[in-house]
Amino acid sequence: MRVIQKPGSMWRKAFVSSPETLGNFKSKDAPGYKDMLQCMRCGFCLPTCPTYALTGRERSNPRGRVALARAVAEKKLEFTRGVREEAFFCLDCRACTTACPSGVKAGEIMEVCRSQSHAFYPPGAMGNAFRTFILEKMLVSPERLEKSMIPTRLYQRLGLQWLVRHLGVLKLGPDWMEKAEGMLPPLEKPLRPQLPEMLSARGEKRGRIGFFLGCVMTLIYPHVSRQTVRVLAHQGFDVITPKAAKCCGAPHLSEGDRQTARELALFNLELFLAEDVDAIVTDCAGCGAALKEYEEILEGQADREKLALFRSKVRDVSEFLGEAGLRTEDLREVRKTVTYHEPCHLCHAQGISAQPRELLKAVPGVELREMSEASWCCGSAATWGLKFSEESRQVLDRKLGNVQSTGAEILATANPGCHLQLAWGVNRSGMSQEVLHVMEVLGQAVPD
Amino acid sequence: MAIMRKGLKRNKPPMISKAIIGLLQEKLGARNVLHEKEDLLTLGYDATPGVHHLPQVVVYPKTTEEVISAMEIACREGLPIVPRGSGTGLSGGSVPVRGGMVLGLTRMNRILEIDEENLTATAEAGVITLDLFNAVAARGLFYPPDPGSQKVSTLGGNVAENAGGLRGLKYGVTRDYVMALKGVLPDLSVISTGGKSVKDVAGYGFKDLLVGSEGTLGIVTEITVKLVPPPRDKRTFLAYFDDVRTAGEAVSRIIAAKIIPSTMEIMDRATINCVEDYVKIGLPRQMAALLLIEVDGHPAPVAEEAEGVRTILEQVNAAEIHLARDASQAADLAAARRTALSALARVSPTTLLEDATVPRSRLAETFSEIERLTEKYRLKVGTFGHAGDGNLHPTVLCDERDHDEMARAHAFYNDLYEKVLSWGGTVSGEHGIGLAKKEYLARQIGEGGVRVMKRIKNAFDPEGVLNPGKIFDEGDPETRQHVEEGFRVKP
Repeated sequence: MRVIQKPGSMWRKAFVSSPETLGNFKSKDAPGYKDMLQCMRCGFCLPTCPTYALTGRERSNPRGRVALARAVAEKKLEFTRGVREEAFFCLDCRACTTACPSGVKAGEIMEVCRSQSHAFYPPGAMGNAFRTFILEKMLVSPERLEKSMIPTRLYQRLGLQWLVRHLGVLKLGPDWMEKAEGMLPPLEKPLRPQLPEMLSARGEKRGRIGFFLGCVMTLIYPHVSRQTVRVLAHQGFDVITPKAAKCCGAPHLSEGDRQTARELALFNLELFLAEDVDAIVTDCAGCGAALKEYEEILEGQADREKLALFRSKVRDVSEFLGEAGLRTEDLREVRKTVTYHEPCHLCHAQGISAQPRELLKAVPGVELREMSEASWCCGSAATWGLKFSEESRQVLDRKLGNVQSTGAEILATANPGCHLQLAWGVNRSGMSQEVLHVMEVLGQAVPD
Repeated sequence: MAIMRKGLKRNKPPMISKAIIGLLQEKLGARNVLHEKEDLLTLGYDATPGVHHLPQVVVYPKTTEEVISAMEIACREGLPIVPRGSGTGLSGGSVPVRGGMVLGLTRMNRILEIDEENLTATAEAGVITLDLFNAVAARGLFYPPDPGSQKVSTLGGNVAENAGGLRGLKYGVTRDYVMALKGVLPDLSVISTGGKSVKDVAGYGFKDLLVGSEGTLGIVTEITVKLVPPPRDKRTFLAYFDDVRTAGEAVSRIIAAKIIPSTMEIMDRATINCVEDYVKIGLPRQMAALLLIEVDGHPAPVAEEAEGVRTILEQVNAAEIHLARDASQAADLAAARRTALSALARVSPTTLLEDATVPRSRLAETFSEIERLTEKYRLKVGTFGHAGDGNLHPTVLCDERDHDEMARAHAFYNDLYEKVLSWGGTVSGEHGIGLAKKEYLARQIGEGGVRVMKRIKNAFDPEGVLNPGKIFDEGDPETRQHVEEGFRVKP
């Protein structure tokens, strides 16, 4: 073991120019240097990374991305367009986080780099105005979002634009509009105005929960969340759905707008803590992952105890029902073969893998057939699928092949982003699977 | 200061001309030639701590012919050539210390043949080790070498470093399975050595020279390996110990009882805790050590050997002895062990790992020595490794920014190697010399041994274009292992 010493002070100076800034990063919301040093470059993440599988390029895998961030921190590299590209090319699927024995969170480092990228490369005036409109006006106000969508056409266009929320930040794939149109299911009225503030428990009451209704759920999948609250009530829980709830902040985090994300988080934190609920439950894996990050993103900006209390209550619906134990006595039979696709934001970001499967298996008549690579990303990844439409199609094809091999009738999942992408893929490939949220399968078993 | 300035100068990659990039792109296809700074920055490291150098260009040939084209251009331009697989090496073998052309072999990843009559498989150098294992397993055959990084590492990398693994004790290492190699020599001639014949004593064993040569003699592009029938049965034990030396004693006694398990792995307390933090399978955090022991083969001898192992574990007073429930639990345990090194990296920013190997009868003493030196140099050390092979990986958990600590870590390894060599051990059991252990090589094989090795190197590569700066210590500080040096990339 030979280590050549460098003059300490010199070397340190080369790294960190002032206490506030980290190398070539901007001072605001810079990633942590220690988080990067944690990577010992063993490469265990390589086989789990969809963008590495696609490109075979080291810079497009988690080890390479962390190395790029480290190079920026060590002033070996400017925050180049290449770094920005990799930050956005990362699917943020977090498969590498699951695979990393050293506890490196490459996805989170990239998320912070996205936020940095706006400081380095401000979007043009048009793009900026649009992005501001979507991220800071529409998404922060559920009412505005819903009202703006009353005429169906406008509703659809806005829905689309909502999906491609950071137009002007990166170029979209050549056929994104066509794909986005094709992805949208027939749209119903948003669910939020229709849901009662409280749905009472059926049978013996087991508790009182706050339901966090996500934006995509209310707008695009109202029928899914309707089943979720129905299942929860049937399981013996009073379901409170605070109508004032705002976007969870996930799109903002994903697009690097950490400031708006914090404001939303603070609002939702207070709103849900004011309700006297045993748990805060969501059926959107993306929302769940973001809600569980509040403690981190609000560190130092909200009372620590409040943050810990909030965190202790947040549950994905399958996690919640797994802990509570499913009452199966009066469930109806659903004679179907089902395969399950694991949303990245459930299995990798939240570590929830067994619970949705247990729920499916608990439904009388359901035969669960495992697909290979169930936890491999479907290629949707928020707006990734629209930005990199060709790459996304390749990732999706790999997934669909695995689905097809199971011969299952139902493809179940638990996140709206995956749901859109899978339904679009199944339809386009002429496959016969019905794509359903786990709660919809469960909903079929719940008596009226 | 003088060294640093020289380093800066030397490591700043001289511009490679656009014409050369264009020529390479023409020969290999644009997507197989990388030259942007983001690519160069991410293709100059492997899993060895503290070494990072920039190449000038990285190419990904897809055929042996393309390898020749790329090498021809590199030789003409005076660019050093450094082969690279997945970059999981632990001695810096694939790090381009003098810049030049990194020859990435991961896009040569076809399994060319599985020959069930001769029990061989032929694959390109970039095939992932586990992919080959799975492909032959599907035909009812077994490729035993299983380095810790088998999910990631390439066969070519395994050959270059003569990688070992968890099954080395009974089944041997990569070298024991290589039957034939195809590759390109620095004079651009194609060498084909060995074959499918079980016996072959025609002249010098070139393939044995190439295995473990770390890309300094030739670029291996195709590999034919021996396959064996898979074991029909196996039993996996997990034994816990209150004292790490007792575990060492158990290993020596099992070998002395003429039982050769397929696997006999050890983890000390620090390692157990880090691994448990990651895998969460209920490993005992308070225990001083654990042994993972697997016996395999035909059912009758397996039952007998398992009994023998259990008896010895009881005799040495292992704190607890568990038998794995089923194959899947056994696989989980082996998988957990494979994460040991990376899991230790949780503790500190820098993980310095070594590869000391001793005759197995010295195992308990080696543990005592590691304990003594850990205390002497006030370090945090986690030790794990292939106990049955006498191959330990004492790993110093430190921070490369703390120069005093790094100096103590250096002294720790220095003292340890002295002892290991005096016991007839080796400075590298399975990771190779690369950059990390150059200064220790001469201590082990003597100046005479180094001279012969250099003559062999010169016979293959008189111009010194292949992977310069590796294996031999020329006293050039730039090519030693060192803390991340001060190269800068201009925007």
